[in-house]
Amino acid sequence: MAKRMREFIRIDPELCSGCQRCHTVCPVDAIEGEPGEPQKICGDACVMCGQCVQICSAYDAFFEKDADWRVQKLRERNMPDGTNEPLFAAHYRGNFLAVKEILMHKNKFTMVQCAPAIRVALAEEFGMPLGSLVPGKMAAALRRLGFDRIYDTNFAADLTIMEEGSELIKRLTEGGTLPMFTSCCPAWVKFIEDKYPELVGHLSSCKSPQQMAGAIFKTYGAGLDGVAGENIYSVAIMPCTCKSFEAGRQEMKASGYQDVDAVLTTRELGYLIKEAGIDFAGLPEEEFDKPLGIYSGAGNIFGVTGGVMEAAIRSAYEMVSGKPLDSINVTSVRGEIGVRRTIIDAGEFQLKTVVVSGLKNVLSLLETVKQGNAEFDFMEVMTCPSGCISGGGQPKMLLPLDVPDAYHNRRNSLYRHDEELTYRQSHENPEIKTVYEQFLGEPLGHQSHKLLHTSYKASS
Amino acid sequence: MNAQLNSFVVADPKKCIGCRACEIACAVAHYDKEIKTVGCLDRPLISRLYLVKTAEVTMPVQCHHCENAPCVKSCTAKCIEYQDNKILIDEERCIGCKSCILACPFGAIELIISPCEIEKKNLLSMNTGGKENSSQAVVASKCDLCTRRSQGPACVEVCSQQALRYVDFYTERKRRQSEAAQAIGAFVESFRGQEG
Repeated sequence: MAKRMREFIRIDPELCSGCQRCHTVCPVDAIEGEPGEPQKICGDACVMCGQCVQICSAYDAFFEKDADWRVQKLRERNMPDGTNEPLFAAHYRGNFLAVKEILMHKNKFTMVQCAPAIRVALAEEFGMPLGSLVPGKMAAALRRLGFDRIYDTNFAADLTIMEEGSELIKRLTEGGTLPMFTSCCPAWVKFIEDKYPELVGHLSSCKSPQQMAGAIFKTYGAGLDGVAGENIYSVAIMPCTCKSFEAGRQEMKASGYQDVDAVLTTRELGYLIKEAGIDFAGLPEEEFDKPLGIYSGAGNIFGVTGGVMEAAIRSAYEMVSGKPLDSINVTSVRGEIGVRRTIIDAGEFQLKTVVVSGLKNVLSLLETVKQGNAEFDFMEVMTCPSGCISGGGQPKMLLPLDVPDAYHNRRNSLYRHDEELTYRQSHENPEIKTVYEQFLGEPLGHQSHKLLHTSYKASS
Repeated sequence: MNAQLNSFVVADPKKCIGCRACEIACAVAHYDKEIKTVGCLDRPLISRLYLVKTAEVTMPVQCHHCENAPCVKSCTAKCIEYQDNKILIDEERCIGCKSCILACPFGAIELIISPCEIEKKNLLSMNTGGKENSSQAVVASKCDLCTRRSQGPACVEVCSQQALRYVDFYTERKRRQSEAAQAIGAFVESFRGQEG
């Protein structure tokens, strides 16, 4: 298991002062060590959420180290040589250099997708206010970096709702493992596989939006551009330090190739934009490329805790009851409390939902599931405290005092973007309808099963 | 005794966990523009307090704003001065002679590239001993008690362990006198109670 994880998250013993603040945010108690001594991450337990990376403040004070030491560390971490960022003890080893190479050589047809949480955080790396909403500038920056197709994870989030909503209804009506758990968060999935192997059947068989996008880009997307799947290099920009692990999982080759070739975090995309000398704040607003960059507001709110649940309800309610929702904004599933329960009345169905943010908060609920006493049908779980907007790959605040503001503003911006979009429900997205008509057939159909669903292995 | 003693920030080594958040907050408070994220840094963080971590003790040290400040006496350019109960360096007049660094018993003074020069050149070259350094103005720098900051010292505000304290001697003495009076008063009361 440790080998498979490639040690994405590490603590540098030369920099760690043993303050143990990372222990307070680690959801799986994977960090070990004595106070005042360098801490170690226990590879088997770590779910790579990167919360330790966000809180760590033990850095290389400028006058203490020489330039050679710094250059060597930057290379070990796959960070750009020219960055002025301090080096922190807890860090993520990313893919910046690999993607930079690909964009430089242009010998592959490049497709890129961005998770919803990127467009409300990326601008922070360029001095814009916390939580600035910048989908247009983000698309413009990606185009200037040389990506051939600017697609979007939000499109695939809409696709996820079509599949996951249908799967939930099927489990409820035809009998299947209940309660069903969402499967978008790779740290959560890994946690279940490792710590609750007997419950893997509760996870939705849907891949995450990142992996659905990856599989669609190299099949349907390849066809649209007349490019062979093997000549496509697919990059995912994620707020998450665990998504690279997810992309590298053995089973994520549904297209016949590695579905997602490289994952960059929000911070790494910032490095690329800075290295290219792009004036981000001065960029014009540009569109994503059609058709795989078109998305609904429902897909967009995947980035905040409660968002997957709300998006699912927006579509599933209508599928089940045949009636439109009273209000598109399902505010009862929103909020910041770690566990939020709601009952949705949909005609003959009463759907009991639970939304969990922060992995520690799910433990008692999992015990009720194990005992067969769970009083809910569908559970959304996000490992990070406010969902993906608070992910380990997001811009790191210099001061802890700014963290609540950052989360608050990013969250509000995601909901504001949802409200301003033409389509608010995944099944209304016209490009989703087209991809089913032209390529996938129907939700849970043969093609969907092959490309968009997966199975989980209980680790032992 | 004059109530107008200089204030300073002092750390409690029993509480300090060595996280260096105070150093980051200090550097951010003295940055030439408002920044929020690590990615916004276009030059290295330079703090004016220094975490010391030895086998025996972990705590940051910073300027004590001494009443008979050796740095003031040592300054050949006469640019270190008493101002509003603080010791401040006028960086524009500093000639970088380093006398103050030798004089300071706390090691609380450091030479940095003048903030106006930093904008022109990447500070990284300083560590490599590059030739361009000779043209850069190097000035002495130390804790100024966040004189430009209405909320007071940034290091005190950021500490998650409340290990840093801004010592205002007038208030401190009043508080201690008040605590002492209460303790003595209670003792005298109980003593009387026993007698009666």
